[in-house]
Amino acid sequence: MFKLLKEIFRTGQATALYPFAPPQTIKDSRGKPEHDPVKCIACAACTGACPANALSMKTDVAAGTRTWAINYGQCVFCGRCQEVCPTNAIALTTEFELAVARKDDLITRATFKLAYCRTCGAAFSTLKEVDYVARLLGALAETPKEAERIRAHAEICPACKRRLDVEEMAQANPVRQMECL
Amino acid sequence: MNAPIFRDDLTIKPQGLSMSNEVAALKGRLLKSIGRSVYVYRVDCGGCNGCEIEIFAAITPIFDAERFGIKVVPSPRHADILLYTGAVTRAMRMPGLRAYEAAPEPKIVVSYGACGNTGGIFHDLYCVWGGTDQIVPVDVYIPGCPPSPQATIYGFAMALGLLDQKLKETHHVEGEGESVPLIHPEIPYALRVAVERRAREMAGYLHGKVIAEAFLAALAAPEPASVEARLAALTAQESDPRVVEIYGQLRAVLRAMVVEQAS
Ligand code: SF4
Ligand code: SF4
Ligand code: SF4
Repeated sequence: MFKLLKEIFRTGQATALYPFAPPQTIKDSRGKPEHDPVKCIACAACTGACPANALSMKTDVAAGTRTWAINYGQCVFCGRCQEVCPTNAIALTTEFELAVARKDDLITRATFKLAYCRTCGAAFSTLKEVDYVARLLGALAETPKEAERIRAHAEICPACKRRLDVEEMAQANPVRQMECL
Repeated sequence: MNAPIFRDDLTIKPQGLSMSNEVAALKGRLLKSIGRSVYVYRVDCGGCNGCEIEIFAAITPIFDAERFGIKVVPSPRHADILLYTGAVTRAMRMPGLRAYEAAPEPKIVVSYGACGNTGGIFHDLYCVWGGTDQIVPVDVYIPGCPPSPQATIYGFAMALGLLDQKLKETHHVEGEGESVPLIHPEIPYALRVAVERRAREMAGYLHGKVIAEAFLAALAAPEPASVEARLAALTAQESDPRVVEIYGQLRAVLRAMVVEQAS
């Protein structure tokens, strides 16, 4: 008996007190991916990377919006979204208190405005993404004029870009290299 | 060529189960405050077994779900709570329904893990129904893959009316003039790419990014100390020898690029 009591005192309390005390989580435990919609450019890199398709991106051309959504009920907390996000808008946290009674509470959405091509007017991306890309590439430009050209190019849809490229090539009139062979 | 076959063409959507008003009222009382111990029966509807392992972790002395009178029982006939794990495969639909019918009214159904909630990582398999709520009405959803023992205890405490729900549906709509700042604009782009690439090679996808971010943040910090001193301080703070090694490699990348620039 005495031995047993001694053992009990030596061991102390093993049980974690949660939920009556703050939870003990370690730094690397994988919990809720927290999305900061202000930092998000709606590039859809995360939705492509998500192995469980918990992230989705829907474009509504008529309304001029693109809606990002996460379903925490489908997420497997792998962190692929955090890895691919170019602006660090989404990152895993240690938050684990995610249980819900209503299934719709598992979903978080963010809606962004579409960007329209400045040549043909078709919707092709989001305003924030175009702006981010223009600034990112503009920072690499050597002259302000070059930065302006990069911004102009960023605001054009891929189809128009291809057409413009051909026209620019034709204007530059490149010498045909193959002929002399 | 044959037309494509989709999962929805191969499966039928089952009808929801009905519940009498009397039972619904009793169940409402149970969900609000149970005031006694609860017996849990676990139904594995085709998961990977990760969830089962965490459920058993939750009833070990460390997390001790029995503090709240939560006890796992071997028969659905004793159960107050049915705990469904797994994505509900075709083969497990009937056993899942039988367990539901065998449990006495009023019963609470808890859907456990990403699989139980929506099908999770298995959601688009041909043989998967995609979630517990496809076959039985669910009262509480516990996300996780698998949910940690603490998340399990939180979910149960919520099902028994001890704790409140924290997560709410939200919808952010882009405001006027929202603009995202560039990440580390003071660091040359080529250097940033080289550092991130090396860190990911060394530490894998997620930790590679985390380590690279810590390194770049130290590099860009507006401090009076020299770059070398700041990076040495970052390395000295780290207790994990693997991360220290990676910081060393990243510093080598930095040195190589600086030398290349100078020459
Ligand atoms: S953590 Fe993984 S599963 Fe969850 S949203 Fe991110 S990529 Fe998808
Ligand atoms: S990867 Fe990042 S910026 Fe792109 S859509 Fe996802 S959260 Fe937004
Ligand atoms: S939710 Fe994750 S851990 Fe649980 S059964 Fe499904 S795949 Fe396995």
